[in-house]
Order: sequence, then C-alpha cells, then structure tokens
Amino acid sequence: METVKINDLACNDLPWKVLYDTKRCTLCGSCVAACTFGAIKPKVERRRKSFSDTETPEPKITFSATPVITQVNILKHFCRGCGVCERVCPNNAIRSERNPDSRFNVVYQATTASGPKRGGRNNLEVQARTLDTIRVGRISQMTDPSLDAERHTFDCLAPLGRVLPATKLPFTLGPDGKLTKSGQTPPLHWIYPIIIGDMSIGALSWRMWEAVSMAVAYLNEECGLPVRQCSGEGGMPVRLLKSKYLKYVILQIASGHFGWNRIIKAMPHMVEDPGGVLIKIGQGAKPGDGGLLMAAKVASHIQSIRGVPKTDLLSPPNHQGLYSIEESVQKMFLSFNAAFKFRVPVAIKVAASATSVSVFNNLVRDPYNIVGGFFLDGIDGGTGAAHDISLDHTGHPVVSKLRDCYLAACAQGRQGQIPLWAAGGLGKTGNLAADAFKMFCLGANGVFTGKLMLQLAGCLGNEHSRCNACNTGLCPAGITTQEPLLVRRLDPDRVAENIVNYFLGVDKELRKLMAPIGNSSLPVGRSDCLISTDKAVADRLQVQYVC
Amino acid sequence: MPAFISGFDEQNKRISTQHLLQKIYAALDRGETEFEVLASGHHDIGGPLWTTDGRPLKFTVRNPGQRVGSFGLEGTEIVVEGPAPADVGWLNAGATLTLKGDGGDTTGHCSASGKIYVGGRAGTRTGSLMKHDPSYDAPELWILKNTGSFSFEFMGGGIAVVCGYDSEQFESVLGDRACIGMVGGTIYVRGPVEGLSKQVWLLDLDEADREFLLSNMPVFLEKIGRPQLLAELTDLSRWKKIVAMTWEERQRQDRITMKEFRTRKWVEGGIFGDVVEDDYERVVNFVNAGEDRLKVPHWQNKLFGAPCQTACPTGIPTQDRINLLRQGKVKEALELVLTYSPFPASVCGQVCPNLCKDACSRQFIDHPVAMQELGRLSQEAAAPEKKPATGKKVAIIGGGPGGLSAAWQLSLLGHGVTLFEGDREVGGKLRQAIPMERLPREILDSEINRIKKMGTDIRTSQKIDKETFESLQADYDVLVIASGAHNPVVIPFPGHERLKKGLDFLKAINNGEKPKVGRKVVVIGAGNAGMDVALGAYAMGADKVVAIDVQRPAAYQKEIDHFTALGGEIQWPVFTERIDGNGLHTKDGRLIEADTVIISIGERPDLSYVPREWLTDRGMMDVSECWQSVRNAKVFAIGDTIKPGLLTHAIAGGREVAEYIDAYLNGWELVPRKKPEMIPQEKLSRELFMPQNRGRFRVTDAKNEVHRCLSCGTCRDCSMCLETCPEGAIVRTEKEDGTAEYTSDDRYCIGCGICAGICPCGVWAMEKMIV
Repeated sequence: METVKINDLACNDLPWKVLYDTKRCTLCGSCVAACTFGAIKPKVERRRKSFSDTETPEPKITFSATPVITQVNILKHFCRGCGVCERVCPNNAIRSERNPDSRFNVVYQATTASGPKRGGRNNLEVQARTLDTIRVGRISQMTDPSLDAERHTFDCLAPLGRVLPATKLPFTLGPDGKLTKSGQTPPLHWIYPIIIGDMSIGALSWRMWEAVSMAVAYLNEECGLPVRQCSGEGGMPVRLLKSKYLKYVILQIASGHFGWNRIIKAMPHMVEDPGGVLIKIGQGAKPGDGGLLMAAKVASHIQSIRGVPKTDLLSPPNHQGLYSIEESVQKMFLSFNAAFKFRVPVAIKVAASATSVSVFNNLVRDPYNIVGGFFLDGIDGGTGAAHDISLDHTGHPVVSKLRDCYLAACAQGRQGQIPLWAAGGLGKTGNLAADAFKMFCLGANGVFTGKLMLQLAGCLGNEHSRCNACNTGLCPAGITTQEPLLVRRLDPDRVAENIVNYFLGVDKELRKLMAPIGNSSLPVGRSDCLISTDKAVADRLQVQYVC
Repeated sequence: MPAFISGFDEQNKRISTQHLLQKIYAALDRGETEFEVLASGHHDIGGPLWTTDGRPLKFTVRNPGQRVGSFGLEGTEIVVEGPAPADVGWLNAGATLTLKGDGGDTTGHCSASGKIYVGGRAGTRTGSLMKHDPSYDAPELWILKNTGSFSFEFMGGGIAVVCGYDSEQFESVLGDRACIGMVGGTIYVRGPVEGLSKQVWLLDLDEADREFLLSNMPVFLEKIGRPQLLAELTDLSRWKKIVAMTWEERQRQDRITMKEFRTRKWVEGGIFGDVVEDDYERVVNFVNAGEDRLKVPHWQNKLFGAPCQTACPTGIPTQDRINLLRQGKVKEALELVLTYSPFPASVCGQVCPNLCKDACSRQFIDHPVAMQELGRLSQEAAAPEKKPATGKKVAIIGGGPGGLSAAWQLSLLGHGVTLFEGDREVGGKLRQAIPMERLPREILDSEINRIKKMGTDIRTSQKIDKETFESLQADYDVLVIASGAHNPVVIPFPGHERLKKGLDFLKAINNGEKPKVGRKVVVIGAGNAGMDVALGAYAMGADKVVAIDVQRPAAYQKEIDHFTALGGEIQWPVFTERIDGNGLHTKDGRLIEADTVIISIGERPDLSYVPREWLTDRGMMDVSECWQSVRNAKVFAIGDTIKPGLLTHAIAGGREVAEYIDAYLNGWELVPRKKPEMIPQEKLSRELFMPQNRGRFRVTDAKNEVHRCLSCGTCRDCSMCLETCPEGAIVRTEKEDGTAEYTSDDRYCIGCGICAGICPCGVWAMEKMIV
C-alpha cells in the first residue's frame, strides 16, 4: 500500500521527468554517481504478479525485487534536466524530459514562501529574435568595390574611452606646419569589438574564470587580437592585479563594491594599468535587481576577496551613493577616472530600459571628457543567479534601444564620441559574429558577451530551461561552482582553447561580412547594409523592409 | 614581309578592337604568319590564333590595349615594343610574349603555359592565379624590375622571376602582401621582400634553382634586349625563392598550445594559486573513484536502532535475537532477551501491549514479527551467567516488575541484592492486578523462579516505613525505590464515596475474593488499566460495561478490541458531574445507568517512608536523568515512583538503574544512556521481502521469523550490496564471532550509492562530499 497524499511532491510537479528503462539498465551506477543535484537515486522495485496458466483458474505468484534508478521527489533535489545521466549512461537507459505539465512554480512557492531562482537565461521568449529577422542585404558586387575577406586588411577595432571630435583635440598648429599636442586627451583604447563580459570570480569557478583570463591573454599575446575581459563585480585575483596581463582586464565596480579593497591595495604593485573600468548600474537579465551570489558559491577565497562571511550575497539594486544621472557622472566617473590618474577609460553599464535614451543623452554631453563608454545590456543576457520573476518578467530587448541611443547621438552630431557597446543574448544562437555585425550596423561600436563563454566551456544548459542551475553551486560542468570536486571536471586549458578558437573564428566571420559590404573598418551605423524581412522591425530600426 | 595591321582607317581615325582583330583574322586566312600591329589601345591582340599547318605566328605590336597576348597559343610569339596596360598574357596558353616596357596590373594573370618576359615593372596583382597544367611545360613570367602589391595572389603553379633591377627605392620588390593565397608554383626574387604572406616559405636557392636561373637568364635578357645585365643578375647571392606551403604544412598550427602558454607565459602557479589549491592538471570524469567521488559510502552497522528496539521501553533488540537465530545460535538468541528483561514470556509474550510490534517494519509488508511468540520461546531459557560477586549490597524496595528487573540485573552484575516486598509474594501488579487469563500463573511463576534462582534475598511481607528506610540506608550501599504506585486516584465529585477503586477491584479478583459488581457497570478511565478493570467486571458477572474517558482512550487497540468484543462500550469525551444510585450523571446532563461505578484513572505512589523533601511537588521521587535521587546519591528510584508507566517501563527502569548503580558502585561517572535513534523507514529496502498473504498468515514456529525480520539498522549479512555493487568494490570480512563486516574499497567505489539504495537493513549510508 502506498501512502501518497495530495500535497506530497510528485514527479509530475517538477520541471523535468527522469525517464528510465529498467530493461536497458545494467545498474552500472554511473548516472547516480555523476548527478550533482541528487535528483536520482537507487532503490528496489518489487515486481509481484499473480497469473494463471492453466485451463481453470489456478493462481500462481511470481515475485522479484529489482534494483532500479528512480527520480527523487524532493524540492531541494529537483531534476534540472542537465542531461548528465544520459551522457554517462552506456545503454541509453535514462534521460530527463521536460515536463510540460510541471506545477513547479506553484509548488515551490507554496512550499518555500519564496519564488524559484535560477542561473542562466531568458526562457520565456516565444517570438523570433529581432536580429534573426535581419540580414546583411547590401552586398557590393558591381556597385561598389567589394573586398576579399581573405586578403584584405581589416581594421576590426572599437574604441573604449572618450573620443573627442577633431575640433576639441588639444592640438595647435605650429609655424612649421606640424601639429603639437598641448594638453591631455582622455584615455582611449582601440580594442577588439567584442568584450568578454562581466562574470565574477564568485559566479564562475576559479578554473573557468582563469580559463577566460588565459584565453584573453593568449588572444592578445599569441594571436594579436586585442580582446578584453571585464572582471564582473566581486573582486580580482591579486596575482592577476599584479601581473602584466592586467592590461587586458576591465575592472568592474557595481553596487556591492565587492573586492575593491584588494584592488586598491594592489595599486602600488601594479605593473600595468587595467584595460578600463566599468561602472555597473544594472544588468540586462535582471534589471532593477542587484547581484546575487548564493551562499553555496561563497567559498573561502570568495569570502576573503570580498570581505564577507559565507551567506547569500546580495548587491543592492542601486548604488547606495548615487541618486541621479548627474551624480553618477560626477561622482562615479570622476572617482574612477581619478583612481588611475585619468589614464584608464571609464565606462558605464546600464540595463536596457524604456528610459535608456535619457540616460545616454545626459552622458553624451560629458563636459569633462570622463565618460569612456555606454554599455547597454538587454534582456537576453545571462546571470549567475536571479529570481525567476526577474528573469521572466522584467527587462528590455537591446536592439531597438541601442538603435535609439545611436540615433539620438546622431541627432546631436555626437555619434562616436561616447562609444556605444551593446549586449544581451548576442551569440545566443551560436553565431556571435553575425549578431555583432548587425549591432555594429545599427550603431554599436562594440558588443560584449558572457553566456556564450559558458557554452564554449561545455555548459550543458540551454535557452529552453535545461539545467540553468548556475545559482546552486552544483554546476555539473564545473563552470559555475566553487565545489573542488566539480571544478575538477573542468579542463581550463581546453576551455581557454575553445574560447581562443571561437574568437579566431569570429574574427574570420566578421571579415566575411565586412568584405561584401566593402567596409575595411567596422561598419558602425551602416544600417543601409541591413534589411529586414519583418516590417515592424524594419520600421522601428529604420532599415529597409524586404520580402 | 610581315603583314601590317593598322589600328587606324584611311581617315586616320582609330578603328574599333573588333575591326582590328578582324583585319588580323583576314590576313591570317590569307596565309600571313607575321604581323606588325600598330595599335591604339586595342584589346586582346595575339590570341587565340593558329595555323592549320603548324607554321608559327609572330606579332610585333606597338601601343596595345589591355590583354595583349591573351589566350595565346603555342607557336605564337608576341613582341610588344614598349609598355602595355593591364592583363598582359592573360590566360596565356603557350605563347611567348615579350614586353619591352612595363606591364600593367595583373600581368600574367591566370597564365598556365608559355612564357612572358617583361622588360620593366609589372603592376599590382601581377602573376595572380598562375597555374601549371602538368601535361605542358610550366608557364614562366619574367620581370626585370618589380611588381605592385598583392602580386602572385592565389598562384597555383608555374615559375615567376622578379629580378629587382632598378628597384632600390622600394621596400619590397613584390609590393606589399605578396603571395596571399598562393598554393603552388615558384617565385624567384632578387631584392627585399616585405609583407609576404605567412603561408609561403622564403627559401635560399638550391642547385636546381641556380641551374634554372643561370640557363634561362640569358634568354630573358636577350628577349628584352638587355644582355649587358647578365653579370649583375646572375650574381645569385641576392636571390631567394618563394614556394607555397603544402596543404599539410598549412594545416599545422604554429601557435603554442594553451598548456604551453599556461606553463611558460601565464602567471606562475595560476592567478588563484594563492587562494585555492589546484594544480590545474587533473581533470576528472563525470564518474570517478576514490577522492573524486561526489558521495562516499559508509557501512553503519547498528548506528540506528531497529523500530522494535527503540519503541520497546526496555530496548529489547529483536533484530539481534533474530540474527543469532539466523546464525543458528538458538540458545544465545533466547538468552539474549534475558539480559534485557527477566519477563520475556510474561510481559513480551503475554501482557505487554507490544509497542515493538506497532513499530515493526514488517507490518508494512504483511504482519509485524511475532514478538509475543518469540518472547514465550524464552520462558524456559536459562539465566545468563552471573558476574563474580562484588561484595556490594543493594536493597530494593518493592518486588514488582521494576524491582525484580533491577534485582535480576544487579544480581547478574554480581552485586548482593536484598529485595523487600510488602505483599506476601513478589510480582507486584503482574501478580496483583493483571487478570489471570491474560497472564497464566505458571508462566509468571516460572519466570519469577528464574529470578529467585539468581540468589536474590527476597523478603516478603516487609512494609517499609521511615525507620526501616533509615536503617536500610545504613545497612546497604545502595537503595532502589521500586515500590510502584498503589494509591488509586479518586476525583472528589459528588457521590465519589460510591466509587470502587479499580486497582483494589483487580487485586481483589486476583486474590480470589470475587468482588461483587452490579449488572450495569461504568468504568471511569479507558486506559489499559481501565480495560483490565472492565474485563474484570465482565468476569465478575456484569452484563454491560461502559468505559468513559475525558479524552481519546489511552488503551491500546488490542485491549479495546478485547473489551468491545465482550459487548463493552467506550464513550468519550465524557465529563462526570456526579454519581448517585442511578448511575453516572455527565456534565452535559445525561445519565449513564450503573449499579457499580469503578474509577481507574491511575495510581499514585505511596512514598510516605521517604523524607518529604526528596519528593517532587507531585509526590514523586525527585531523581536525576540516571534515576538517582537528587537528595541522596545512594538512593535510586524507578518505575511508577517516578512517573506512571507501563510494566515494560518498569522493567526498563530496573535494567537501566542496574547499570547506573553498577557505575555508582564502581565509582564511575553516571552518564545518562542514550537510546539509539530509530531508523527511518525510507532507509530500508522493504521491497526485497516478499509479502506473505495476510489472509493465510499463521505463526507456526517463532524461530521462522528469521525469514520475516528485516533486521532494521543491523546488517543481516545478506550480501545484497556485495552482489549488486557495479564496481565489485564491496568486501565482506568474517570476524571470529561469526559476524560479518562489510567495507567498500575506495579505490574502486564510484559513489553511486546503490549499496545504500538497496540495503534491506538501511545499514549503508552515503556521505555527501558536495553541498
């Protein structure tokens, strides 16, 4: 007799169902040994049958007890659908299947008095991505000279830093007809137009974070691609701060100000300036919500670098000392320009929002030449941990917002002065070069990407709610965990190689798009190159509608 | 005389290319083979033309347009007396073409055979896409001076010679970015080369190269009319050769590996090397053995108590009894229980409500293990061996189950025990109050005899008062107060003087006094004692017994069933207002008719012999967790003198207090005993047991319970884990006493948890190595 009650948790309530075929299973134990979530367990099943195999009823009984693998019906251990069981099963005997009838949200809140959280991505999206309705439609064939992606030199660089218009440059014309510089210009770095964005040392395992850093250093030193990495909020490894590779890292400051104690203390020992500073105001994946690092991931080194005990770490949704756009310019930009003696470009990152253009317009004036970039992060971006409600129901797509900001700058004749960088689900469908290129044409100087790096590292999750357990600290791939046993699963060399190869591939693919439109430098704002098969998108973005 | 082909008409106006070419065709058709062409930028002069008889064709051209010599065939020689614009020798298919001046862009573009000699410079993309069809001689492209940028792009074959004469002003005689996409062919070059493709080799000449240049240079210089340069250009010390990388060579990655980068160039020891321990070298699989397991199994035999053992107040471990039976150690099994209780047959087998059975895991399969029958098996079991006499003297006040249990255990421990009993015979409530049909006298007597045989000095009819209690304190090392509770509780509602007291009623029955009851009897209190009273009332002739209680009856279901089977009725909640001749009046105004009303809501101990200050406010002995009087360390108390309880609680008290007293007498610290935690049902794999049909269920021989007991929390040595472990990591070791121990070998165990998931006894547990 089973004693199941109506409010007992059942597999039907959970987002994933583990499907298991006892006939195929050899009970090798691999799935149960590998599952990090404790979502499956071994148990014994009783098989009892009565039957009659004679002319008249003569009941016989067969009985057997068979060890099997079964799903665990405990909220804390719900299956995330990571698919590790299926991966390790030699016999195709087990897999997880999305449960379309899941009552998870209801059950979870009814049990825990709080909403579910997850890491990862936006899963609610139902329509096609805006960028996928856009093509590069102006191909120079006979009209303008096209270029050869293989043979021509391309200038794939984007500015990070304040770009002064020619008339504002502090040059004076000498009697010899030569220009001499008569004052300081704001720091300006021309870097690769794709920044690896904002994943903190707490969000990523140390092997993953180091693999990203190594890939970036390798791309710079061995491949000549000046790619930059943004540290994310949460501090920096001191050894990196003191190394020559610091120049490839953009330091982030966010509302929690985590980790800056050690950054400041390392300043006297720095042999290079950092590649920039990024003031994070908001994040596209969970706008209006602060950073969140679940206690499970606050390992001892994170505790010391951040200066906090082991607990859920929440960054406030707002910078405590900022009350207006003007203040953020005055205080944060000034402070961080001053931090490195006005030698390091300082940019700001905000979540795309209905009001982004106002913020941008305000920054664009920049009378003190201290605004080194405007980073706009859209709804499709990733996160290490967020409440489902933020992921699913807040946010703003980046494409039209980036376009609005660019056109706003154009209207004032100030385009290009404050570099525009955009992100939020770019590369989500696997081709970052295409997404980036379209964003350039719509007005972005550069783009930044994060989530894609996890995919390159071997992330088992996807945009359709598979895994998404970055917040739990139990990442089966060793990417977003601080558990030494799981971190050991990740091969940092391999991850770095994958990132390097992907970037080299992106670099080639960018040329494959630049050549046909005849641009040897990034086609920033060349929306004439784009066409859209979606009339609404075409109208909204002011590109040609085609059908 | 060569045919003169003019690019001008009679009016000296330029004719079209088509017109000029058709003039050449006409002359060719007339049999002309030599042509002197005065062109004016006309395209495509020189090919593809041929004679049917194989006579060679020769063109001398001045002022040609683009693509002079294009499509030229073998047997065609073209000499351009000066420079030519783009595409000289385009798609040359065998002609010899000599350009006395400079060539325009894409000179020799796509030429695949024949020879092209340029006496000056050549423009951008010169030599691009040259090829070599192996059925014919390789095409040659000779250039006296230099080329523009992007020269030899996508070159696939053939030979090009760039002599670099008069080119000192150029950084690179091949222009910038030469040889991009070059996959074949050879370029000889004299002079500096910059911006060369990374996918070609720039090599020194070998002997064959020298031979080629030395033998062909005079021909070239002769063709372009500069033989005087021979000495300068055949100084081969300034010459180099460019060849394309092979396909295989181009696949080769010239970047260092990431591991090399990390170990040679990256921050030494890793950027987190100061805060985490990680060698970065070890990458584990999803499934691992040893220290990389996510879970580690532990064989936790007896960490948890079996439900029977933990539910039993006396703590009798039936799983151990059964495991001994399973090992064939019948005698040991039957004796084991005696180390817990001297009353296995009387109490376990007869009167105990058997909390063990209520907890037994087997009930979820079919029926609980036959505890009563197992108890009865031990009725005649021999007493365990006593320990040597210690010379210590213990006095026990009270010969009920608690006192006897204490006497039994203390005797086993070798202490001298004197037991003082107020009644004429020991046994306490077992003898006085339990209906004889529930506990046949011979069973009780045989077990009491077993106690007596232990050598306990039993003194009956000994009432203890203050004085004797004082003297006992002086005469004995330890006193145990086990005098039970014999003062029935009476509630003073109106008419309470009519009440019979339950305990007195039962005692009278057992004394053979046959106390009278009326036809209708009401029993106040529906606990276990109340049920005994009610049964007694029926035995004494009552027709109808109603038991009432203010709350849900506390009696065990077994007792209630027994009562209701006789026609008894239980009412609750019922609050008594008063009692009179008609019966019991409830607070809600009902009358429950009764001739006799018996109250059985418990008893209080009579501890008048103990100093008042040793008691609690409620008149019970004030004792520590080790049953030791808080006022006098040598005085202990158990059973109902502490708290009302069951017979089995009193037996447990006797057993436990004996341990504390032993510790006390040995001068050890008294530490409260902790009962093992009851094993959670979900740890057991009950599914491994085949249910028996409840409808046919019979206990024939209690020894057969070895097949039914799950052995909860205690390894039953079935080897299910050992056989199922996928890695064969589990090892069974047999110890000297015949018991087995299982271990999991860390070297092979992958931490799958199957052992824990399928252990029938719940002995294996997985320790999680991650949160």
